[in-house]
Amino acid sequence: MTREIAVVAFAQTDHRRTSEEFSEVEMLMPVLHDVLAQTGLKTADIGFTCSGSSDYLAGRAFSFTLALDGVGAWPPISESHVEMDGAWALYEAWTKLLTGDADTALVYSYGKSSPGSVRDVLTRQLDPYYVAPLWPDSVALAALQAQALIDAGDTDEPALAAVAARSRSDASANPHAQLRDPVSQGEYLVRPLRTGDCPPIGDGAAAVILAAGDRARDLCERPAWIRGIDHRIEAHGLGVRDLTDSPSARLAAEKAGAFERPVDTAELHAPFTSQEVVLRKALRLGDDVRVNPSGGALAAHPIMAAGLIRIGEAAARVHRGESDRALGHATSGPCLQQNLVAVLEGDPR
Amino acid sequence: MPDVLKAPLVVEFPFTRSLGPVQSAFLTGLRERVVLGVRTGGDDGRVLVPPVEYDPVTAEELHDLVEVAPTGTVTTWAWNPAPRRGQPLSTPFAWVLVRLDGADTALLHALDAPGPDAVHTGLRVRVRWAAERVGAITDIACFEPYDGEAVQLKGNTGQFENPVTGIVAPARLDYTYSPGRAQSAYIHALGDRRMVAERCPSCRKVYVPPRGACPTCGVATAEQVEVGPRGTVTTFCIVNIKAKNLDIEVPYVYGHIALDGADLALHGRIAGIPYDQVRMGLRVEAVWTEGSRYPDHYRPTGEPDAEYDTYKELL
Repeated sequence: MTREIAVVAFAQTDHRRTSEEFSEVEMLMPVLHDVLAQTGLKTADIGFTCSGSSDYLAGRAFSFTLALDGVGAWPPISESHVEMDGAWALYEAWTKLLTGDADTALVYSYGKSSPGSVRDVLTRQLDPYYVAPLWPDSVALAALQAQALIDAGDTDEPALAAVAARSRSDASANPHAQLRDPVSQGEYLVRPLRTGDCPPIGDGAAAVILAAGDRARDLCERPAWIRGIDHRIEAHGLGVRDLTDSPSARLAAEKAGAFERPVDTAELHAPFTSQEVVLRKALRLGDDVRVNPSGGALAAHPIMAAGLIRIGEAAARVHRGESDRALGHATSGPCLQQNLVAVLEGDPR
Repeated sequence: MPDVLKAPLVVEFPFTRSLGPVQSAFLTGLRERVVLGVRTGGDDGRVLVPPVEYDPVTAEELHDLVEVAPTGTVTTWAWNPAPRRGQPLSTPFAWVLVRLDGADTALLHALDAPGPDAVHTGLRVRVRWAAERVGAITDIACFEPYDGEAVQLKGNTGQFENPVTGIVAPARLDYTYSPGRAQSAYIHALGDRRMVAERCPSCRKVYVPPRGACPTCGVATAEQVEVGPRGTVTTFCIVNIKAKNLDIEVPYVYGHIALDGADLALHGRIAGIPYDQVRMGLRVEAVWTEGSRYPDHYRPTGEPDAEYDTYKELL
């Protein structure tokens, strides 16, 4: 377990409300080409390929096999897929590189929320016996968490509005973001969450290349070394959990070594403003940490890619010399049920 | 580029799920207007409602069922001004987590209340039972505000006549399907009785139907190439089971057809020839019926069969 592994390239689409003129592979392909071009690698040079997506979003069975067309998977390549955010595909690729079976990995993920009704689609991930038959949509569940935070005195509506405003202002410097200007907080979607507290619904894709050791140094001027990465999950029963806290995020961060030294930057996958409040507390992020300089998931939220994008954005800041130690976080499930934390560092300058 | 094609797509399925012993007792209890929890082991012995088969902390198997009250306290809530399909109430309501009296954890459901001002954390509520109950979480129609006396319990331990052993959970999701650039162009051309493939700029292979990418090279295909409408049967099967809602008599033949000019076979039904006379190498052509926007089937052209060597790479 001593192999050094780094994120050496990151690319993403311009995230938009709809990409109906493109199939999933047509949307994905430019991102794959972009990330390969950054390193000069060709498909045949990649040791392992891993992707994340969900067929439920666009209602297309086995869409991930069609997406493989964009990779150039013939003759057969070493490949895997997770029905999860691409951050978990990155985790699988990281373990593959640790074993020494491969020196480079291509990780990608994509999501098209535009063909369906994503609030309803996400109810299908819930407990099928006691919860899914009630069709509690994703905003409703996040709103229950937000009210619990307000009741606990951890936040209030003006503080949530400030998170929303800061995120969209920061996104003005991110050409890929879907919302790049402050938006009105608007009406309650499900009280206490207003439209401004919720992520935009949209389509997009992202890709990352991982490389080990000297290969990483060859491919990237300043690799973003993965010093630690871990993911943890909580019980599925919402009423069993303390929704104002995220013990799984805290434990993942601890196992990833996030608390050993302060980070200067954190890219948090908090689709709802209230979830940033939970994560800042669980991850012990002080006011001196730059949180979501990309605008975060409140500025662009292509489901299944948004978590991978957090790690990619954190890595890109290391690549550019804007960060020396950054935290990338991804979440999955209702109310931050499952959390992944990666700690990325650049070599001393 | 032609207009983006779109069509409604409904994905619908009645999921039939079997229940574990704890789930069965809980849902049967709801049918009988009894709410059960399950007690965890160890010194703390918490009562989980809704009850689960395994302890969420220790993973220990649970079976100690205890009755809890149909009354309880709201632990958090969210006002839903616009109910969506399938949700418990069709008028604006509050989503609530309710800790029932006697339970240590909270249950998710809906609360029928006149407006958000009538709801707060700590509100006392009780179950409103559905008129018809079948052994499902929806046997609780919703909760309603309640400031009355505590309810007397009978100490039910989960023994019922005719316990439910499964649930049927219908699921429906509605989509607007759009096939993307390459397939849209292909479908548009089919409506004009033309079969338009796309060529890979790198390996020069011609794909039909085009999917927008060359799976060998991983690059976009864009150059359009008209192929067919004649082609060669590369392989086939004889279908003997009639599919539901299919208006075709069995047996019939479904085959792979390498259209002239294409480097990948597509599939289609082969007709106009007895099913037992279809063979590899048979030359066929696409047949559009009156007003159809795509080929209905392929029929023999009467040409001599193709030599094996001409299509062996397309099998």
